[in-house]
Amino acid sequence: MMNAIETDQLHYRAAKTFHISGLGLKVPVGAIYGFLGPNGSGKTTTIRLVLGLLRPLAGRISVLGHEIPRDAPSILAQVGFVPEQPHLDSILTVRETLAFHAAFYPTWDWPWAERLLRQFDLEERQPFGRLSKGQKGKVMMLLALAQRPELLVLDEPTDGLDPVVRRDVLSALLDYVSQRRASVFISSHLIHELERFCDWIGVMDNGRLITQVPMERFKNGIKRLRISGAPPIPESLPFVLLGREQTDGATETWLVREWEPQMSAYFDRPGVTLTEVMDLDLEEGFVELLRTFRGPRA
Amino acid sequence: MFETIDPRSATPLYAQIASRLRIAIAAGELRPGAALPSVRHLAAQLRMNPATVVQAYRDLEDEGFVEMRQGAGTFVREVAPEGRARERARQASVLVRQMLADAGRLGVSLSELQAAIAQEIGVETS
Repeated sequence: MMNAIETDQLHYRAAKTFHISGLGLKVPVGAIYGFLGPNGSGKTTTIRLVLGLLRPLAGRISVLGHEIPRDAPSILAQVGFVPEQPHLDSILTVRETLAFHAAFYPTWDWPWAERLLRQFDLEERQPFGRLSKGQKGKVMMLLALAQRPELLVLDEPTDGLDPVVRRDVLSALLDYVSQRRASVFISSHLIHELERFCDWIGVMDNGRLITQVPMERFKNGIKRLRISGAPPIPESLPFVLLGREQTDGATETWLVREWEPQMSAYFDRPGVTLTEVMDLDLEEGFVELLRTFRGPRA
Repeated sequence: MFETIDPRSATPLYAQIASRLRIAIAAGELRPGAALPSVRHLAAQLRMNPATVVQAYRDLEDEGFVEMRQGAGTFVREVAPEGRARERARQASVLVRQMLADAGRLGVSLSELQAAIAQEIGVETS
């Protein structure tokens, strides 16, 4: 098994206006895969398809080498899931919630669950419904981790949590990943958070997966160049020109993809000077990618 | 030691971690025989991918700064004084390169830079 999650030509239609088309996700075993995309781009729908909670119109899904939705009931015992919205009974106490959850997972690890309870500073006699948003977020992560899954599927697990809680929750996640070579599929709006630990990035827009690359390649490949005396019609470019705009007078700013350092030689010609090569961080790269994908500016 | 690590920087995270440790070793802050934090601990503390920490430690091992002992952890090796001096010289070039790049961007000339350095050192020692 090479991929913890794999989909092939996946199609799904929720309404006349929204569909997922031709989705080909590949989450390698052991990867921490960051799943990005604007609101409504289809991230949560994709996650629900992968877990067998929605039926695709066409296409193939496999999770940990098993076919979904056919094998979903058996394979989901090895998958830790943190949904976007908590789905737990608000009357049960934290302790009861854990006991309820533990009953479904043969691999549930009580000693570790107890340690996480203390580490997260959770009051076990509190009803789930009375917990703060941050405490609920911690309970959700605790449940997903204490079942000792091979794969974690996390849908905005830190959304709306304060920075201290986010840090605790992510530290516990990475502690688990270090102990056991688990694969992680995580969607988040907090791009800078993903930048710290993801080694793969997938970007959704409008129901399509527009990019799927190792993080390093994503970050290194996209640059902003400042050029004075830029050639009017660039020919035989060694990189991909995503967009260009006149900054002032003879200076232009180019946004490029698949840039490599030796390509600055391209600008060694009379009257042309490459004055600056600027790095874009993940967030800037993401924004630029969406902007150019939706139609390059004139 | 790791407070200044910047995930948004173009320098890969593993290289940033390795560089912080190399400086600590060169400065004698981490002595021979000292244990580096475990991969698990450092990954959780910095909220980073454990693979990133492992890569940093491997690089330091290849350069002879540390030794990874199976099951026991990663330890600082005896680094000859010349080795530490060489590392300090390397860090000095890194600092100067950064300063020159920033100065270039701001349009500060070399003589202005030299005057500023002289003045700073004068202030320090007076």
